[in-house]
Amino acid sequence: MVVGITNALNVVADAFGDATPDFAALSSDAEGEAVQALFTDIRAFYVCREVPLPFRLISHDPAYAADVWDAVKRAFDDNRLGRRLKEALAFAVSLTSRSRFGAPFHLAEMRRLGMTDRGVMEVLGVTQMFSSYTKIADTLQLEPDMGHIAPVDHSPAPGGFTRVERKAGQAQVNGSSRTKISKGDRRVASRASRISPSPSPAPVSRRAVKKPV
Amino acid sequence: MPTVRLRHASEYPEAARALFELSKAWFRYEFDEPPAMSRVMAWDPAFGGPHGRAMKRAMAPGELTRAEKEMVAAVVSGVNACSY
Repeated sequence: MVVGITNALNVVADAFGDATPDFAALSSDAEGEAVQALFTDIRAFYVCREVPLPFRLISHDPAYAADVWDAVKRAFDDNRLGRRLKEALAFAVSLTSRSRFGAPFHLAEMRRLGMTDRGVMEVLGVTQMFSSYTKIADTLQLEPDMGHIAPVDHSPAPGGFTRVERKAGQAQVNGSSRTKISKGDRRVASRASRISPSPSPAPVSRRAVKKPV
Repeated sequence: MPTVRLRHASEYPEAARALFELSKAWFRYEFDEPPAMSRVMAWDPAFGGPHGRAMKRAMAPGELTRAEKEMVAAVVSGVNACSY
């Protein structure tokens, strides 16, 4: 999410100026209730007075800008990964894609969130070294040969359910299934089926569990 | 298909093979055959040696953890659309 939305902001901001001389960004003090509410939220998130360029550009359509901003805020807010690391990832994205807007913007954000020059140098170093490895690999057209060394994460999607592996022909629940599932479990399963298109593997056909003749 | 023939580990001189041991230690994985990138880097140890040391220095825990740095590396690889 961070990579994608960072690139989305950079693309708009980097195209601005020479490429779009007759398309002006809104001023940070632009009028309009929706725009001002949006800009206030953006300023609070970045602790700044000037609203960053990509948001001022897309705010000609305040409803669109508000949705983009919600996605940006969700992607960059503290979650399993902290905001400072996310800014470091965005900085690496911006360096790698040579973004005139993104590199200085995310560098400033990293510093504002407490990263020292040493930390910045660490991100620069990793970005530089892997820009080297990836270019060598692509030039030689090396085929992936290390994917198997990483363990697979079997955890479900957020709020979802662990996938149950069943062999073909094995029934979901053997025997008299209704009596083996508690009412509580049935309520949970019923609710899950309403909020998710397919949270668990599809039930096996009854025909599949018939005893062979 | 690689643009060059990747040499088997046994085709490398002893000094270059030392780099393969470093790869095993770095990834903590017993490879049947060293990864393609390790074999490429071992082609010229005078290049691969310092390049590998710079990578290890860059990836060492500091203000960012090793795991966080792996994320940065993954992001760079993704933006470069590198399938390797």
